Amino acid sequence: MHTVCGMTALLETTNLTVSFGDRAGWFRPAREVLAVRSASIALQAGEVLAVVGESGSGKTTLARALLGLVPIAAGEIRYDGCDTATMTAPQALAMRRSVQMVFQDPFGSLDPRLPVGAIIAEPLDIHGIGSPASRRARVAELLGLVGLAADAAGRYPHQFSGGQRQRIAFARALAPSPRVIIADEPLSALDVSIQSQMLNMAAELRARLGLAYLIISHDLAAVHHIADRVATMYLGRIVEVADVDELFTRPAHPYTAALLAAVPRIGAGKWMPGAALGGDIPSPLAPPTGCAFHPRCPAASSLCATATPEMRAIRAGHDVACHHPLGTA
Amino acid sequence: MTEASVSVWQLRWRRLARDRVALGALSVLVLLYGLCFSAAWIEVWLDVTGVDTDLMSRFDPIDARHWLGSDEAGRDEFTRILRGGQISLSIGLFAAIGSSFVGTVIGATAGYFRGRVDMVLMRFTDFMLAMPALPVLIILAAIDLTKLGFSQDFVRSGAAGYWRIVLIVTLLGWTTVARLVRAATLSLVEREFVLAARAQGASSLRILWVHVLPNAVTPIIVATTLRMGSVILTESALSFLGVGIQPPSTSWGSMLTNAQELMASNPLLAVYPGAAILMAVIAINFVGDGLQSAFDPRADPH
Amino acid sequence: MGRFLLGRITGAGIVLLLKSFVIFALIGLMPGDPLDLMMNANPETTPEQMAHLRAMYGVDLPITQRYWTWLVAALQGDFGYSRIQHRPVLDIIIPALGNTLILTGAAFVLSTTLAVTLGTIAALKRGTWIDRIINLFAFAGISVPSFWLGLLMIYLFAVRLGWLPAGGMPRPEQGFGGMLAHLVMPVMTLVIVETGGLARYARAAMIEVLSQDYIRTARAKGLTDRRMLVRHALRNALIPVLTLVALQLGGLFSGAALTEAMFAWRGMGRLILEAILGNDYNLALVCLMFVTATILIANICADIAYTWLDPRISLGKRRR
Ligand SMILES: Nc1ncnc2c1ncn2[C@@H]1O[C@H](COP(=O)(O)OP(=O)(O)OP(=O)(O)O)[C@@H](O)[C@H]1O
Ligand code: SF4
Ligand SMILES: [Mg+2]
Repeated sequence: MHTVCGMTALLETTNLTVSFGDRAGWFRPAREVLAVRSASIALQAGEVLAVVGESGSGKTTLARALLGLVPIAAGEIRYDGCDTATMTAPQALAMRRSVQMVFQDPFGSLDPRLPVGAIIAEPLDIHGIGSPASRRARVAELLGLVGLAADAAGRYPHQFSGGQRQRIAFARALAPSPRVIIADEPLSALDVSIQSQMLNMAAELRARLGLAYLIISHDLAAVHHIADRVATMYLGRIVEVADVDELFTRPAHPYTAALLAAVPRIGAGKWMPGAALGGDIPSPLAPPTGCAFHPRCPAASSLCATATPEMRAIRAGHDVACHHPLGTA
Repeated sequence: MTEASVSVWQLRWRRLARDRVALGALSVLVLLYGLCFSAAWIEVWLDVTGVDTDLMSRFDPIDARHWLGSDEAGRDEFTRILRGGQISLSIGLFAAIGSSFVGTVIGATAGYFRGRVDMVLMRFTDFMLAMPALPVLIILAAIDLTKLGFSQDFVRSGAAGYWRIVLIVTLLGWTTVARLVRAATLSLVEREFVLAARAQGASSLRILWVHVLPNAVTPIIVATTLRMGSVILTESALSFLGVGIQPPSTSWGSMLTNAQELMASNPLLAVYPGAAILMAVIAINFVGDGLQSAFDPRADPH
Repeated sequence: MGRFLLGRITGAGIVLLLKSFVIFALIGLMPGDPLDLMMNANPETTPEQMAHLRAMYGVDLPITQRYWTWLVAALQGDFGYSRIQHRPVLDIIIPALGNTLILTGAAFVLSTTLAVTLGTIAALKRGTWIDRIINLFAFAGISVPSFWLGLLMIYLFAVRLGWLPAGGMPRPEQGFGGMLAHLVMPVMTLVIVETGGLARYARAAMIEVLSQDYIRTARAKGLTDRRMLVRHALRNALIPVLTLVALQLGGLFSGAALTEAMFAWRGMGRLILEAILGNDYNLALVCLMFVTATILIANICADIAYTWLDPRISLGKRRR
């Protein structure tokens, strides 16, 4: 199925696969980590999609692949319906401009040697947007938008707190008037009190600017608060996607259910499987056969160890990759 | 302004200013450069010459005019040392900056592009590193430039002799900086601020120039400083062996060549130029060491 | 192990080959090739004679071809003749190599021992005046021009005091005492120049090791046997020091060249300087090849010793 550029989701992946590996050396075979396996997600304009999953499940890699920061091994990424692999250079540039990223670490994502004004203006410089004077004005405007004083432009990152830095990173992402912001655990490095401030700011800006967010998070409470839809990732695969309320009240994948069980405030449902998530995430170098979750899954059958479950809809807008989804039997 | 609004460089300068040894060495160095490059005025002031021979006043003793006496050709030893210093010290500066430049370009390219480029450049660096430096320098210094198509007049000129030394010392001296810059680049390109720029579609050149090099400047500065010292030593050795700075130009090393023959009768003439080299190089090394600890990130608040 | 060695030796062989070509080409650019010299000796040479001579010496051939001829002969053990001494270069090089080994070997052992001792003391007495004095001496050693140091020593000990010979080689009948007397000043020069940097490095390595967890734990557990501690730390600190020493052999050799020249010690360094400055092409080339080979072999030995000293590293993994 080849889509021509046209109306579909704003940002979409089909069977996206990203592999890290070193080539075979003289004395050892090549090793390969499939950090993302055959993942399909779709982000609609103006929507907030959250991706959750344990550490090492491939969330960051998925985000980086969307930004073209890691090469993709198979599958495709479409922006506005256009395949990134066959885009013309102007189309690619327009995409880079419209899809912006906020990183997890507010200490690492700002160049310590540049004043904040230059950091925020960098996307404008790179894309050649506006004159130097208009860029300065834009920087001042953006600083106001994220709630920082205008004189911050002349100061350096190390003079700001973690929360302020994340606001700076946010202002940089907003600078070229993007349509999508991909945020990789934007809150996890911040204090709880600052997290809620940031969440409110993000929600307000979304309403004002009509942004779509792809948010990667460990924090299910925050996800519940801000997301429209949620995708669960396990060992490189997307295993469940549903609207936020549906997913939080009726998770169908045992892994999602186990994740929710770890959050007492929300996961008070009666359907919860008795066993909490035990064991460690298996090595991505040698993932289990069949459903990768089967060694830890309380609902696993003999089928699970041999056949990989495909994504299928169990309800409208609720897809799951599981042989025995919860709440359907 | 509060403590929080102090820039990285101000912090570093404060730490350096507390290091008395480094500060003392820096003063000595500034004084040395200042004196050497005022040689012409000092000659006028003392009414002596470090350039022209005066057979009537050979081996003059130390007095109010000849602060260090005069040499075998009647030239004033003190101002001659200053004139030699102009050459030795400026070669030190230029060749150190040159090596750092070459090393930075090679190291940043290797660290940024990695893979095959990195492998080739680093093997090349190893290759240069295993050269028996002095013999190769001597060969390079002795190369007959006319065989490379330069004109006789150019080859005989003082400027050619000077820049030839700068060039060859640069060519053999960039390896340390290249390794340092490569290591710094390798870790910097993994940092998120570089990813942020790449996600915008920033060019490699922009990333290197705006993000990588400014963040790698610390090891570059320290290495350049330390390199200055070894350049001065190398130049003096080459000139001492007669393949460096050629008469009528003079450097501290070439002054020692003459003084060696007069050792038995006028040992002091051999003491001064060597002491000048020792003073300059030791000051440079102390400054470099001070910079290193002042720039140490472990002392930074973050 | 065997594979590792084979790989390293092959690598070294390639480097040696490359280097011989570079040096061959560079030497070809030096003034005063045999024909220039002949022309100067006999200004009446006609252009026809010149052309004939050029063909005879093979100077008109391209550089790669001349190199090939040289290489094929060299690989068959024929390293050619010295232009000045009119002897096969091997006959000249072998005794010189022996002399250099005596000089640099003595300096190497002394300076490494001294550097490790001083570095260890400085690390243990960190921040005290002892540390500072050692540091000052180290800096002075790094910063002094070796030939100047040699000059001053000759003046003091040979010219003024007359205690030691000013230079040259001992005669056989002077025996061991004569050898020692001739060695004192060049060895001292080399030791002073080489020890400084190494001592600072040893100090840093020692501080690093002393701050490592297991040492701190050992101390906290009341393991107060200082000698045990120091011995243990020393063994670990020696590894980086040794690596540096091996990597700096090229430097040690350069230093030795000047020192040999200063003290008229008939070693490789002096031979190379004489050969280069006297346009004795072939001799210079072969000498440089020998020296480079020695450096490469030393590096391989350092790698092996490195592994032997540190059981955590297995052969085959590269540094870096
Ligand atoms: N550059 C890389 N080279 C090799 N392997 C990598 C690379 N980046 C990630 N991986 C591997 O890919 C897998 C997925 O990593 P990723 O960082 O995407 O997970 P994550 O879900 O973001 O985890 P976290 O929550 O800890 O950030 C991991 O096993 C990781 O080790
Ligand atoms: S497919 Fe089987 S193992 Fe996998 S999550 Fe569903 S029930 Fe569990
Ligand atoms: Mg991540």
